[in-house]
Amino acid sequence: MLRVPLNQMLAVIILSLAVGLFTNIIRPDRIPLLAEEMAGAEDLDQVSGEPAAITLAQAKQLFDDDVVFVDARDDENFNDGHIKNAWKSGFFMELMFILDSLQSKENPVVIYCSDDECGSSRELADDLYNEGFTKLFVFKGGWLEWNDAGYPVE
Amino acid sequence: MKNDLKNLLVMVCRIFLGFMFIYASLDKIAHPEEFAKQIGYYKALPFGLENLLAIILPWAELIMGICLIAGLLVDGAALVSIIMMLVFILAISQAMLRGIDITCGCFKVSADSEKLGLDTIIRDIVFLVMSFIVLNRQERKFEFLPKSD
Repeated sequence: MLRVPLNQMLAVIILSLAVGLFTNIIRPDRIPLLAEEMAGAEDLDQVSGEPAAITLAQAKQLFDDDVVFVDARDDENFNDGHIKNAWKSGFFMELMFILDSLQSKENPVVIYCSDDECGSSRELADDLYNEGFTKLFVFKGGWLEWNDAGYPVE
Repeated sequence: MKNDLKNLLVMVCRIFLGFMFIYASLDKIAHPEEFAKQIGYYKALPFGLENLLAIILPWAELIMGICLIAGLLVDGAALVSIIMMLVFILAISQAMLRGIDITCGCFKVSADSEKLGLDTIIRDIVFLVMSFIVLNRQERKFEFLPKSD
Protein backbone atom coordinates (compact mmCIF):
# COMPACT_ATOMS: atom_id res chain seq x y z
CA MET A 1 0.00 0.00 0.00
CA LEU A 2 1.41 3.38 -1.04
CA ARG A 3 1.97 5.80 1.82
CA VAL A 4 0.17 9.13 1.68
CA PRO A 5 2.19 11.23 4.14
CA LEU A 6 0.00 14.33 4.12
CA ASN A 7 1.60 15.84 7.24
CA GLN A 8 5.09 15.59 5.73
CA MET A 9 3.83 16.95 2.43
CA LEU A 10 2.29 19.91 4.23
CA ALA A 11 5.56 20.51 6.09
CA VAL A 12 7.49 20.67 2.79
CA ILE A 13 4.89 22.98 1.21
CA ILE A 14 4.63 25.33 4.21
CA LEU A 15 8.42 25.53 4.50
CA SER A 16 8.70 26.35 0.77
CA LEU A 17 5.97 29.00 1.07
CA ALA A 18 7.63 30.61 4.07
CA VAL A 19 11.16 30.64 2.61
CA GLY A 20 9.96 31.75 -0.84
CA LEU A 21 7.82 34.62 0.43
CA PHE A 22 10.42 35.74 2.97
CA THR A 23 13.30 35.80 0.51
CA ASN A 24 11.13 37.66 -2.01
CA ILE A 25 10.51 40.35 0.61
CA ILE A 26 14.16 40.86 1.50
CA ARG A 27 15.79 40.54 -1.94
CA PRO A 28 16.36 43.75 -3.97
CA ASP A 29 14.99 42.24 -7.19
CA ARG A 30 11.71 41.18 -5.57
CA ILE A 31 8.69 40.69 -7.79
CA PRO A 32 5.03 41.50 -7.03
CA LEU A 33 2.92 38.55 -5.88
CA LEU A 34 0.71 38.80 -8.96
CA ALA A 35 1.93 39.46 -12.49
CA GLU A 36 0.63 42.41 -14.46
CA GLU A 37 -0.62 42.33 -18.03
CA MET A 38 1.73 43.62 -20.71
CA ALA A 39 1.20 47.36 -21.18
CA GLY A 40 -0.41 48.53 -24.40
CA ALA A 41 1.35 50.90 -26.82
CA GLU A 42 -0.61 54.15 -26.92
CA ASP A 43 1.68 55.94 -29.33
CA LEU A 44 3.57 53.76 -31.82
CA ASP A 45 6.29 56.38 -32.34
CA GLN A 46 6.97 56.93 -28.67
CA VAL A 47 7.39 53.34 -27.53
CA SER A 48 10.97 52.55 -26.66
CA GLY A 49 11.86 50.00 -24.04
CA GLU A 50 10.06 46.89 -22.90
CA PRO A 51 7.81 45.09 -25.41
CA ALA A 52 4.34 46.62 -25.68
CA ALA A 53 1.04 45.10 -26.77
CA ILE A 54 -0.70 46.44 -29.88
CA THR A 55 -4.21 46.12 -31.28
CA LEU A 56 -5.26 44.91 -34.72
CA ALA A 57 -5.58 48.49 -36.01
CA GLN A 58 -2.10 49.36 -34.76
CA ALA A 59 -0.68 46.18 -36.28
CA LYS A 60 -2.26 47.08 -39.64
CA GLN A 61 -0.80 50.58 -39.43
CA LEU A 62 2.69 49.16 -38.82
CA PHE A 63 2.17 46.62 -41.61
CA ASP A 64 1.33 49.46 -44.01
CA ASP A 65 4.52 51.23 -42.87
CA ASP A 66 6.53 48.12 -43.92
CA VAL A 67 7.58 47.24 -40.40
CA VAL A 68 9.09 43.74 -40.00
CA PHE A 69 6.62 41.14 -38.71
CA VAL A 70 7.94 37.97 -37.07
CA ASP A 71 5.76 34.88 -36.70
CA ALA A 72 6.58 33.13 -33.40
CA ARG A 73 4.56 29.99 -34.13
CA ASP A 74 6.17 26.70 -35.10
CA ASP A 75 7.15 25.88 -38.69
CA GLU A 76 4.03 23.82 -39.37
CA ASN A 77 1.65 26.66 -38.48
CA PHE A 78 3.80 29.17 -40.33
CA ASN A 79 3.76 27.08 -43.49
CA ASP A 80 -0.03 26.70 -43.27
CA GLY A 81 -0.41 30.46 -43.53
CA HIS A 82 1.03 33.65 -42.09
CA ILE A 83 0.82 37.43 -42.31
CA LYS A 84 2.15 38.58 -45.68
CA ASN A 85 5.94 39.02 -45.69
CA ALA A 86 6.21 37.89 -42.06
CA TRP A 87 9.46 36.21 -41.07
CA LYS A 88 9.62 32.76 -39.58
CA SER A 89 11.12 32.92 -36.09
CA GLY A 90 13.09 29.65 -36.53
CA PHE A 91 16.21 29.54 -34.41
CA PHE A 92 16.46 32.49 -32.07
CA MET A 93 20.14 33.26 -32.65
CA GLU A 94 19.68 33.13 -36.42
CA LEU A 95 16.67 35.45 -36.25
CA MET A 96 18.52 37.86 -34.00
CA PHE A 97 21.53 38.11 -36.31
CA ILE A 98 19.37 38.58 -39.41
CA LEU A 99 17.31 41.29 -37.69
CA ASP A 100 20.43 42.93 -36.38
CA SER A 101 22.16 42.93 -39.76
CA LEU A 102 19.19 44.26 -41.76
CA GLN A 103 18.05 47.03 -39.47
CA SER A 104 19.01 48.89 -36.33
CA LYS A 105 17.95 47.58 -32.92
CA GLU A 106 15.94 50.79 -32.48
CA ASN A 107 13.73 49.98 -35.48
CA PRO A 108 10.28 48.54 -34.77
CA VAL A 109 9.54 44.81 -34.94
CA VAL A 110 6.07 43.26 -34.59
CA ILE A 111 5.84 39.76 -33.15
CA TYR A 112 2.74 37.61 -33.17
CA CYS A 113 1.62 34.03 -32.65
CA SER A 114 -1.82 32.37 -32.88
CA ASP A 115 -3.87 34.61 -30.60
CA ASP A 116 -3.91 36.02 -27.08
CA GLU A 117 -3.81 32.50 -25.64
CA CYS A 118 -0.33 31.62 -26.90
CA GLY A 119 2.79 32.77 -25.09
CA SER A 120 5.41 32.34 -27.80
CA SER A 121 5.17 35.93 -29.13
CA ARG A 122 5.70 37.30 -25.64
CA GLU A 123 8.66 34.98 -25.08
CA LEU A 124 10.31 35.96 -28.36
CA ALA A 125 9.75 39.66 -27.64
CA ASP A 126 11.30 39.32 -24.17
CA ASP A 127 14.29 37.44 -25.60
CA LEU A 128 14.87 40.12 -28.27
CA TYR A 129 14.48 42.83 -25.63
CA ASN A 130 17.18 41.12 -23.56
CA GLU A 131 19.42 41.27 -26.65
CA GLY A 132 19.03 45.04 -26.92
CA PHE A 133 16.08 45.53 -29.29
CA THR A 134 14.12 48.50 -28.02
CA LYS A 135 11.01 48.88 -30.15
CA LEU A 136 9.16 45.60 -29.89
CA PHE A 137 5.43 45.23 -30.36
CA VAL A 138 3.43 42.13 -29.50
CA PHE A 139 0.31 41.80 -31.62
CA LYS A 140 -1.79 39.84 -29.15
CA GLY A 141 -4.68 39.10 -31.48
CA GLY A 142 -2.16 37.31 -33.66
CA TRP A 143 -2.76 35.23 -36.74
CA LEU A 144 -6.43 34.47 -35.95
CA GLU A 145 -7.49 38.09 -35.55
CA TRP A 146 -5.47 39.19 -38.61
CA ASN A 147 -6.86 36.41 -40.78
CA ASP A 148 -10.44 37.03 -39.57
CA ALA A 149 -10.06 40.70 -40.52
CA GLY A 150 -9.20 39.69 -44.08
CA TYR A 151 -5.84 41.46 -44.07
CA PRO A 152 -3.04 40.31 -46.41
CA VAL A 153 -1.77 36.78 -45.79
CA GLU A 154 0.25 34.26 -47.73
CA MET B 1 20.28 -9.82 -1.80
CA LYS B 2 17.02 -8.76 -3.48
CA ASN B 3 16.35 -6.27 -0.70
CA ASP B 4 19.86 -4.88 -1.05
CA LEU B 5 19.22 -4.21 -4.72
CA LYS B 6 15.88 -2.56 -3.93
CA ASN B 7 17.50 -0.37 -1.29
CA LEU B 8 20.25 0.55 -3.72
CA LEU B 9 17.68 1.52 -6.36
CA VAL B 10 15.83 3.68 -3.84
CA MET B 11 19.08 5.39 -2.83
CA VAL B 12 20.03 6.03 -6.46
CA CYS B 13 16.57 7.53 -7.15
CA ARG B 14 16.74 9.64 -3.99
CA ILE B 15 20.18 11.03 -4.73
CA PHE B 16 19.50 11.57 -8.42
CA LEU B 17 16.18 13.34 -7.82
CA GLY B 18 17.75 15.34 -5.01
CA PHE B 19 20.57 16.73 -7.11
CA MET B 20 18.24 17.21 -10.06
CA PHE B 21 15.85 19.33 -7.98
CA ILE B 22 18.69 21.38 -6.49
CA TYR B 23 20.18 22.01 -9.95
CA ALA B 24 16.74 22.91 -11.35
CA SER B 25 16.11 25.41 -8.57
CA LEU B 26 19.29 27.49 -8.77
CA ASP B 27 18.76 29.47 -12.00
CA LYS B 28 15.11 30.07 -11.09
CA ILE B 29 16.00 31.35 -7.62
CA ALA B 30 18.61 33.66 -9.19
CA HIS B 31 16.17 35.05 -11.80
CA PRO B 32 12.62 35.15 -10.37
CA GLU B 33 11.30 37.71 -12.85
CA GLU B 34 12.48 35.71 -15.86
CA PHE B 35 11.08 32.53 -14.36
CA ALA B 36 7.69 34.19 -13.76
CA LYS B 37 7.62 35.27 -17.41
CA GLN B 38 8.52 31.74 -18.43
CA ILE B 39 5.55 30.35 -16.49
CA GLY B 40 3.36 33.03 -18.07
CA TYR B 41 4.26 31.84 -21.58
CA TYR B 42 2.46 28.57 -20.83
CA LYS B 43 -0.81 30.55 -20.53
CA ALA B 44 -2.07 28.03 -17.99
CA LEU B 45 -2.56 30.19 -14.88
CA PRO B 46 -5.21 32.90 -14.30
CA PHE B 47 -5.01 36.21 -12.38
CA GLY B 48 -1.25 36.68 -12.78
CA LEU B 49 -0.53 33.79 -10.42
CA GLU B 50 2.68 33.01 -12.30
CA ASN B 51 4.57 35.41 -10.04
CA LEU B 52 3.45 33.63 -6.87
CA LEU B 53 4.44 30.30 -8.38
CA ALA B 54 7.81 31.70 -9.46
CA ILE B 55 8.43 32.87 -5.88
CA ILE B 56 7.58 29.52 -4.26
CA LEU B 57 8.32 26.73 -6.74
CA PRO B 58 12.13 27.09 -6.95
CA TRP B 59 12.42 27.04 -3.17
CA ALA B 60 10.17 23.99 -3.02
CA GLU B 61 12.54 22.29 -5.48
CA LEU B 62 15.58 23.26 -3.43
CA ILE B 63 14.02 22.12 -0.15
CA MET B 64 12.85 18.84 -1.71
CA GLY B 65 16.31 18.24 -3.12
CA ILE B 66 17.95 18.79 0.25
CA CYS B 67 15.35 16.60 1.99
CA LEU B 68 15.84 13.72 -0.45
CA ILE B 69 19.62 13.77 -0.17
CA ALA B 70 19.81 14.41 3.56
CA GLY B 71 17.11 11.89 4.50
CA LEU B 72 14.70 14.41 5.97
CA LEU B 73 10.92 14.21 5.37
CA VAL B 74 11.63 11.84 2.46
CA ASP B 75 7.99 10.71 2.21
CA GLY B 76 6.76 14.30 2.00
CA ALA B 77 9.40 15.28 -0.55
CA ALA B 78 8.62 12.24 -2.71
CA LEU B 79 4.88 12.95 -2.60
CA VAL B 80 5.34 16.62 -3.54
CA SER B 81 7.67 15.46 -6.31
CA ILE B 82 4.95 13.14 -7.68
CA ILE B 83 2.35 15.93 -7.63
CA MET B 84 4.83 18.36 -9.20
CA MET B 85 5.71 15.96 -12.03
CA LEU B 86 2.02 15.32 -12.76
CA VAL B 87 1.40 19.09 -12.94
CA PHE B 88 4.47 19.61 -15.17
CA ILE B 89 3.37 16.83 -17.54
CA LEU B 90 -0.12 18.36 -17.71
CA ALA B 91 1.20 21.90 -18.29
CA ILE B 92 3.63 20.82 -21.01
CA SER B 93 1.03 18.62 -22.71
CA GLN B 94 -1.61 21.37 -22.83
CA ALA B 95 0.94 23.85 -24.22
CA MET B 96 2.02 21.40 -26.92
CA LEU B 97 -1.56 20.49 -27.80
CA ARG B 98 -2.38 24.18 -28.21
CA GLY B 99 0.66 24.61 -30.47
CA ILE B 100 2.43 26.98 -28.08
CA ASP B 101 6.03 26.99 -29.31
CA ILE B 102 8.05 27.99 -26.23
CA THR B 103 11.09 26.96 -24.27
CA CYS B 104 10.67 24.66 -21.29
CA GLY B 105 12.09 26.72 -18.42
CA CYS B 106 12.63 23.43 -16.63
CA PHE B 107 16.28 23.93 -15.68
CA LYS B 108 17.26 27.29 -17.20
CA VAL B 109 15.22 30.44 -17.76
CA SER B 110 17.40 31.95 -20.51
CA ALA B 111 16.60 32.13 -24.24
CA ASP B 112 18.86 29.17 -25.02
CA SER B 113 16.80 26.89 -22.79
CA GLU B 114 15.44 23.70 -24.41
CA LYS B 115 12.20 23.82 -26.44
CA LEU B 116 9.12 21.97 -25.23
CA GLY B 117 8.84 18.55 -26.84
CA LEU B 118 7.88 14.94 -26.36
CA ASP B 119 11.30 14.30 -24.81
CA THR B 120 10.46 16.80 -22.04
CA ILE B 121 7.31 14.83 -21.19
CA ILE B 122 9.14 11.47 -21.30
CA ARG B 123 11.83 12.86 -18.99
CA ASP B 124 9.20 14.00 -16.49
CA ILE B 125 7.53 10.58 -16.64
CA VAL B 126 10.90 9.01 -15.72
CA PHE B 127 11.21 11.43 -12.77
CA LEU B 128 7.62 10.54 -11.81
CA VAL B 129 8.44 6.81 -11.74
CA MET B 130 11.58 7.50 -9.69
CA SER B 131 9.51 9.50 -7.19
CA PHE B 132 7.07 6.57 -6.90
CA ILE B 133 9.99 4.21 -6.23
CA VAL B 134 11.16 6.46 -3.40
CA LEU B 135 7.69 6.83 -1.88
CA ASN B 136 6.96 3.11 -2.17
CA ARG B 137 10.21 1.95 -0.52
CA GLN B 138 9.95 -0.84 2.07
CA GLU B 139 12.95 0.05 4.20
CA ARG B 140 14.16 3.40 5.43
CA LYS B 141 17.91 3.61 5.02
CA PHE B 142 19.90 6.73 5.86
CA GLU B 143 16.81 8.66 6.95
CA PHE B 144 16.95 10.85 10.02
CA LEU B 145 13.66 12.75 10.28
CA PRO B 146 11.31 11.14 11.08
CA LYS B 147 13.53 8.51 12.73
CA SER B 148 14.13 5.28 10.78
CA ASP B 149 12.03 2.24 11.79
